Amino acid sequence: MFKNKRTFFKQLGLFLAILGPGIITGSVDNDAGGITTYSVAGAVYGYNLLWTLIPAFIVLMVIQEMNARMGIVTGKGLADLIRENAGVKVTFFIFVGLLIADIGNTTTEFAGVAGSMEVFGVSKYISVPIVGLMVWVLVVKGTYQIAERIFLIFSVSLLMYVVSAIMGKPHWGEIAHSMVHPQMEINGKSMAMVIGIIGTTIAPWMQFYMQSAVIEKGLKMKHYRYMLLDIIIGCLATVVVAFFIIVACASTLHENGIVINEAKDAALALKPLAGALASQAFAFGLFIASIFSATILPLATAFYVCEAFGFEAGINKKWDEAKEFYVLYTSILIIGAAIILIPGAPLIIISLWSQVVNGMLLPVVLICMILLVNNKKIMGKYVNKPINNIIGWSAVVVLVSLSAVMLLMPLFNK
Amino acid sequence: MTSFTTFYLGQILGKRVVDADGRYLGIVKDLLVDSDSTEESALHPQVRGIKLKFKKQITVYSFDNFKIEKISDKIKVICTQLTELPSNQTNRNLYLVDSILDKQIVDVNGRKLVRVNDVRLVTLVNGTFALAVDIGIEGLIRRIGFVKPVKSVLALFNKTVPAKFILWEDVEAVDFSSLNIKLSKTFAKLQTLHPSDLADIIEDLGKKASADVFQALDEEQAADVMEELEVETQIHLIESLPIEKVADVLELMPADEVADILDALEDDKAELLLNEMEKDSSQEVRELLDYPARSVGSIMSTELISFDENKTIREVLDELRRIKPETETLYNLFVTDPNEVLIATFSIRDVVISDPDATVKQIMKPSPVHLHNYQKIDDIAEIVSKYNLLAIPVVDWNNVLQGMVVIDDIIDDLMNKRRTNK
Repeated sequence: MFKNKRTFFKQLGLFLAILGPGIITGSVDNDAGGITTYSVAGAVYGYNLLWTLIPAFIVLMVIQEMNARMGIVTGKGLADLIRENAGVKVTFFIFVGLLIADIGNTTTEFAGVAGSMEVFGVSKYISVPIVGLMVWVLVVKGTYQIAERIFLIFSVSLLMYVVSAIMGKPHWGEIAHSMVHPQMEINGKSMAMVIGIIGTTIAPWMQFYMQSAVIEKGLKMKHYRYMLLDIIIGCLATVVVAFFIIVACASTLHENGIVINEAKDAALALKPLAGALASQAFAFGLFIASIFSATILPLATAFYVCEAFGFEAGINKKWDEAKEFYVLYTSILIIGAAIILIPGAPLIIISLWSQVVNGMLLPVVLICMILLVNNKKIMGKYVNKPINNIIGWSAVVVLVSLSAVMLLMPLFNK
Repeated sequence: MTSFTTFYLGQILGKRVVDADGRYLGIVKDLLVDSDSTEESALHPQVRGIKLKFKKQITVYSFDNFKIEKISDKIKVICTQLTELPSNQTNRNLYLVDSILDKQIVDVNGRKLVRVNDVRLVTLVNGTFALAVDIGIEGLIRRIGFVKPVKSVLALFNKTVPAKFILWEDVEAVDFSSLNIKLSKTFAKLQTLHPSDLADIIEDLGKKASADVFQALDEEQAADVMEELEVETQIHLIESLPIEKVADVLELMPADEVADILDALEDDKAELLLNEMEKDSSQEVRELLDYPARSVGSIMSTELISFDENKTIREVLDELRRIKPETETLYNLFVTDPNEVLIATFSIRDVVISDPDATVKQIMKPSPVHLHNYQKIDDIAEIVSKYNLLAIPVVDWNNVLQGMVVIDDIIDDLMNKRRTNK
């Protein structure tokens, strides 16, 4: 009896020590862009797009498991592996794409900061520069690790969306029905929305982030079961939060026929429908998510680009030792924040285009990953099992054809 | 024709090879160079073979009958006769694409890992040789194929693309994880690096490469490097190397460091290693492991020298010459009675400036500041700073000398503490 208890605590301790990569990745996943996409999906299509979260969950889990396994076996980052095995040209294409998409994403994060603070009555000309400077200092002055932990605790605030959703008095019966038996029109717009949901849930840069996080934890193959649990919890957290955002917007905005473009609109529109608390909870969740991703995203992007092209990188290096890294990081941050401050900047177009680039990039990164993880020279006996390959390749096929259809559809319609 | 032609590996990869009559023979996939570490080839390894792909068939040919020609910046690969290279030659040597290009290699002078963007080669009368690796932005842009437009744009601003080369003699290839075979490579150039630098490099390498490099070190150097590694890397190496090798390395390390490492391992593995180590080394480690975590005993060093107070300075010096202790041990000398009870300390300075016939008793400093082995380590920092000490003796409840805590050991601990507080 006592012995069992001890092994239980030992296992729990092990799990808590390993805990992290999957859960952090899952939390960063619900960034401003994600919240916007889910809100719009809920407002426009009601409960009808909830089903997309199920395949998104499965694909997300399969992909992250591959990343974690690659990290454990090789001890190398995804950027390293792609550079070493796919050569310069493919690497160049991926990282230029990643850079463009991530500058766009960073802009979206700052839009989230600006929008959520406006709900509380703070002008974006105050909130964005302050947050931008704060994030920069946090990273460059090397207190990033503390920040990461604080954010992780704060990311519990994403559960605010559960509050917002329940206060909107959703119709659980309808939700259950539309999960199993979705009804939707198939046209360019709904297709784009589906790609948007999947694309924002499985953002390409997350794959790089996940793999590095696993390496940094120094995980071993014998920790595999705990790591898998961590990934499952992380992915579940991602889709559960997404689920409640969609439900919150569907049961209020959609039923009242309110159209929104931004996550901020959702927060504002919730006020008369579900009360001030629901609105503020929504805005607060958005604020935390935006600031969290605005910290990690530019940092991660600068890091992977440098890793792939052989520049020194890392926040433990001094400015002179890793000049390219810091210049890149600072530029991404400044560009992202500056675009928001331009009066009348085309934010919706920027966020749309960064999603399109993400959507085009995702299959390329996925193909690279599946080829790498099936390479016996790299992975030894830990190559993919057939089931991973089936899910992985079908995700690639579906994503590529969805993207192709979306890109080509306007040509036929006009 | 000029007497020499320089070219880049990236320029000939994927090139069509033709024979003297212009017939197509295949495309270039890789070059094979000398890899044995004899002086000459370490300086400029000669190209021995070339890997060609012809209709999905990959073959390695001897480079002897191949010629690289550069006519007004256009590179041509010409072959007069195809001779297949015997497999004993291909196995021994180094493929540039497999092990160098796009991989991380060690820059021995800069003491860090760099990523190779290209390899610069030269054809002389007596053969073709690898000269340097290109790690600059120019190499990167050239490989992507943008070099001309980028250069002409920059020329408008009177700027050039920064190029950066490292001579072949200053690099060491370390990452062979894309190969299936196990190389028995010596990594001779790495032997000159400081153990701390080498440890940093090993930490940055992938799992397979870090184990390869570590395994190639001799035991003395491996022990020095192991001490400097982060705990995750230590565990990874211990788990991926044969247990005998690990035990040999651990025997050469100070017992307190070994105890720290074994503490981080699983109990079964630690026990296995202790059994494999020689009795006297493992006994010391076991005693340290028995101390509770964060007690003075768990971090103290047990390597120390103590003398009888009646010894003369001459005898002390003779004894020290015989033992040849490490610096750390040498700087802090202790005086004990026949029951090993701590009486006093004295420093190597006092020994050096004293008359050889004086006795230890005359120069020693009695009733020294000391720690108890079960005391918490949190007190140490205060004592060290208060008394300006470099090392503090550790005694048990009967005042019997057990070891000493060196300032070095607590600095690590203090820094770790700050890190975990973050």
